[in-house]
Amino acid sequence: MEQSSQRARRAEALGARLPPLQVAAARVAATVWQGVHGRRRAGVGEGVWQFRPYLAGDEARRIDWRKSARADGLIVRETEWEAAQTVCLWRDGSPSMHWRSKAAAEEKGARADLLLLALAALLLRGGERVRLLGSAQVFSGAGGLERMAAALPGLAAEDGLPAPAAPVPRHGRVVLIGDFLAPSEAIAASVGRLAALPTTGHLLQVLDPAELVLPYHGRVRFTGLEQEVPTLVRRVDGLRGAYAARLAAQQQHLATIAAGVGWGYGLHQTDHAPETALLALYLALSGERAGR
Amino acid sequence: MMFAAPWLLLALAGLPVLWWLLRVSPPAPRTQVFPAVRLLVGLPSTEETPARTPWWLLALRLLAAGLVIVGLAQPVLQAGGALAGSGLVLLVVDDGWAAATDWPRRMAAADAVLDRAARAGRAVALLTTAPDGDGAAPKLTPAMPASAMRARLAALRPQPWPVDRAAAGAALRAAKAGGARPDAAVFYLADGLADAAWDAFAAALAGMGAVTVLRDAVAPARLLLAPVAAADGFAVTLAQVPEPVAATVGVLAQTGDGRTLARVELTVPAGAATGTAQLDLPAELRNRLSRLALEGPASAGGVALLDEGFRRRPVGLLAGDATNAEAPLTGPLYYVKRALGPYAELREGDLRGLLARELSVLVLADRVVPDGPERALLSAWVEHGGLLLRFAGPATAEHPDGLLPVPLTGGDRQLGGAMSWTQPAGLAAFPPGLFAGLSVPADVRVNRQVLAAPGAQLAGQTWASLADGTPLVTQAARGAGRIVLFHVTANADWSDLPLSGLFVDMLRRVVAQAVGVAGADAAARLAPVESLDGFGQLGAPPPAAQALTGAELAAMPVGPRHPPGLYGPESGRRALNLANRLALPVAAPALAGAEEAPMGSALREQALAPWLLALALGLLAVDLLLALRLRGLLWAAGLAVLLAAGPVQAQQAGGQPALATRLAYVLSGDADSDGRAQAGLLGLSDYVNRRTNADLADPVGVALGEGDLAVYPLLYWRVGAESAGLSAAAVAALNGFMAHGGIVLIDTAAGGAATGFSSGPDANLQRVTAGLAVPPLAPLTSQHVLARSFFLLQDFPGRYTGDVVWVQRDQDRSNDSVSPVIIGGNDWASAWAVDAQGRNPYATLPGGARQRVLAYRFGVNLVMYALTGNYKGDQVHVPAILERLGQ
Repeated sequence: MEQSSQRARRAEALGARLPPLQVAAARVAATVWQGVHGRRRAGVGEGVWQFRPYLAGDEARRIDWRKSARADGLIVRETEWEAAQTVCLWRDGSPSMHWRSKAAAEEKGARADLLLLALAALLLRGGERVRLLGSAQVFSGAGGLERMAAALPGLAAEDGLPAPAAPVPRHGRVVLIGDFLAPSEAIAASVGRLAALPTTGHLLQVLDPAELVLPYHGRVRFTGLEQEVPTLVRRVDGLRGAYAARLAAQQQHLATIAAGVGWGYGLHQTDHAPETALLALYLALSGERAGR
Repeated sequence: MMFAAPWLLLALAGLPVLWWLLRVSPPAPRTQVFPAVRLLVGLPSTEETPARTPWWLLALRLLAAGLVIVGLAQPVLQAGGALAGSGLVLLVVDDGWAAATDWPRRMAAADAVLDRAARAGRAVALLTTAPDGDGAAPKLTPAMPASAMRARLAALRPQPWPVDRAAAGAALRAAKAGGARPDAAVFYLADGLADAAWDAFAAALAGMGAVTVLRDAVAPARLLLAPVAAADGFAVTLAQVPEPVAATVGVLAQTGDGRTLARVELTVPAGAATGTAQLDLPAELRNRLSRLALEGPASAGGVALLDEGFRRRPVGLLAGDATNAEAPLTGPLYYVKRALGPYAELREGDLRGLLARELSVLVLADRVVPDGPERALLSAWVEHGGLLLRFAGPATAEHPDGLLPVPLTGGDRQLGGAMSWTQPAGLAAFPPGLFAGLSVPADVRVNRQVLAAPGAQLAGQTWASLADGTPLVTQAARGAGRIVLFHVTANADWSDLPLSGLFVDMLRRVVAQAVGVAGADAAARLAPVESLDGFGQLGAPPPAAQALTGAELAAMPVGPRHPPGLYGPESGRRALNLANRLALPVAAPALAGAEEAPMGSALREQALAPWLLALALGLLAVDLLLALRLRGLLWAAGLAVLLAAGPVQAQQAGGQPALATRLAYVLSGDADSDGRAQAGLLGLSDYVNRRTNADLADPVGVALGEGDLAVYPLLYWRVGAESAGLSAAAVAALNGFMAHGGIVLIDTAAGGAATGFSSGPDANLQRVTAGLAVPPLAPLTSQHVLARSFFLLQDFPGRYTGDVVWVQRDQDRSNDSVSPVIIGGNDWASAWAVDAQGRNPYATLPGGARQRVLAYRFGVNLVMYALTGNYKGDQVHVPAILERLGQ
């Protein structure tokens, strides 16, 4: 009994080397990939561009020997010219993300991590290069996801928006995931700076269902997670409509900011399935690339 | 219902104020963490909530406050009525042996009287009617407040002797003469027994004031009388006040350590003062008994102590012809010894020698005691209680002496034989007497006997006779003792009697009839050793207890100077029992003019204050929970409770390395070295767990000299070129570890690379280990147990290979021949190490998977060596042992 329990602990520790987040992200990504696959093969595969006769100076390893055996001369296989895109991912790591209401199964921050990794998994599978905003490391290839999952917790917890000094390649793609509850001027400034590089991108607002509907009653003292001043509300029920209007205005601001610089904007509730948001996000990124 | 502090009830008038206060102060808001709080700031509130306390919470709090007020006013349910009289409250308590059975009820009743006196504010005086342990006669205490009296009452215990009502009455009269007014309320806790001074006592009691007698008819006082030894046990007698219905009581026969060996039901018939039962026990068991006790409530009256007199009965044997007394089948004492051997202590010797010691029974087999000093000695012994058992024979027939129960006619009578018409005679049924009830075997024949001279007393002195009526066993009392004569020989010459089982039974009954030896010495003074308390438990004797002689012991009534208990030295302990000289209990008549009340009536008075206050506390606790819930903090409080318990568990798990077997390494302070050691031992533990039955937990680093090393089987220690020396405490810890079976693996991690170029690590090793008790070393060979404790190894590589590994040279049996230290430089930890991804981060030199496998195998061998000692070393000898067994 003692032995088996200890072995179980050991196995758990070994399993912990493959973080559950990464597994979940891979699973979500696989689901979405299946959905995408049926319609259109996105990304740059190993597709053959053309065959042409061998010319002096070509590398020997580019000769397609099977083709050459059927023809008279040597045939060289030229593959499609593939330029991998660099996509910068960022998620809000501020304390306000580490919160969930009773209605949600996980915290906003955990959902943001999951979406970020799943998106990274999809992008890596498509051959893109991925980097984390705020880190100079570039991830690509099969092991990239694992390294990225290891690097993710090391990112600094910022105050809800990307740091101004974060290096972003020009003409890159940027995906920002967060709750974007900060003042809209600050968001506009941050997004505007990124868009001026120039980059294109997407804002995904992740909100807890309680933040959408304010499901509280009676006399409540609300305290924030980032040193906000506590607010005493005498009767929450009478405030719900005004709050909804103010949240809608905030979202409208966000959509306006995004549209102003040509970015996309989406909303995700943590009580909804992550696949939906991921699919929308991925299609939005693919659409940008396809449209370009 | 009444209140002890009724003025406190005025506080109830303040409840409406409290209601108003509670109503206007709203409950605290619940606290909610909410990230989007910025959006909430400054929102206009459309309606104002009535921030009022809910009505049910208000009612709960008012109820709790009301309960506290009422509880503090100390309500008392069914308080006793007013006390009679106007002066003193006089409490008279019978605290003799008869009060012990329901003592707690008596004390509760006395407490209730004190309660009433305290409420009435009257002083209390106490009179206990039994003399106390110092022997002082009963005396009235001074009047004192009830609270002070309570302590005295709590110290009161029933005494193991009877009450002294004459002295108690005198004390009352003295108080009266001293100026006490006859307006006291007298409460008398009576034990229900009367004695000679009852009338005078009752009159003195009535002279003090209005008397209320508190008594219970539930448990009558019962007195276990001293048991009488019978042939197969005891006759137990119980005395009690005659009652209209028969009562059945269990009597337990107990050993000194409290085990019960037998139990008998004793019935006291209706209207009778005593009841008797027979307690049958084999002699072996009887000798272990130390007391008889009544079942039920303990009391000194229900205990009869048994002393040596009930147990030891030494029997002296003396034959007329000492030369052939022991001859098989023909000797005169041959049959007697076999009959009595299992049941009594037998002694032999000459007459003076036998009588010099305590003796219960003396058997004379055809031994004539002529006039002279011997006769005088023997007569005196019998007079003092000895039992003389004589067998007839030719010598007795020829010269009858004076120590016979009946006069004999000269010569003997022969029945049957060639010259006689008569036939050998059988036995008649036993007449009433000692042998009554024994069955008479048909095959016992008597050929010859001595004849008793006819006389008027003869029939009464006969215990057994032949079929024709001639006496076979006669007896006569002499002083305190007795003489018994068997009219035949003690061997089979004259009769078949000694051959039959009847002989054994007869002798046993005769010996059981004898007085125990403890009664022998009447003049020696016996000091009290242990005495019974009022509840029948043995303990130290009271201070007034005095020594007394054996003669006095038999006639002494018990009292404080002579408490019931055990007296005398260990070898001859005597018991003084309460019932010794006590008159049978007699019921006390009703007191004229006194009010009678059952004791239980005073018990029903009950204070409600504790219950009310407890209920109020409960309500306040509920209120606290509700308040927490209203504020949304209930889960936080629960969490706090859990957290308070949590760290304790965490500490237990982390602070007890002995809960699992694990490897350890010495913390060097060098992060790289410690990291390698940690990773290496982790990899080795995983490997060992996969490959063997051993179950190792994660390794830990230990700082030498801090904490106990004894829980680790193996200590890995990397000594580099820069390692610092050891402190004294560290040296002591390592030496202790090695001396008590621990193994230290010292790894210089310099194998090969440094050899010949730098002697740094090796030189440093000598410096670092200077204080250690390292035994003489020898190179590790493939013959060593370490090379075969799990895998069979030829060499012992780590990250490097080829370096010599050193182990203890000599065999040390005290340590199971296990080498306490293993020294090498192959850097095993680096070879064993795994990183978080399960890879081996350090390449082996010169390299190859084989070398790493061998390194792991060496590690497994090492762990097995540490865990099992030289167990495998013994296996080396198996072929030799088998070969030897084969021959």
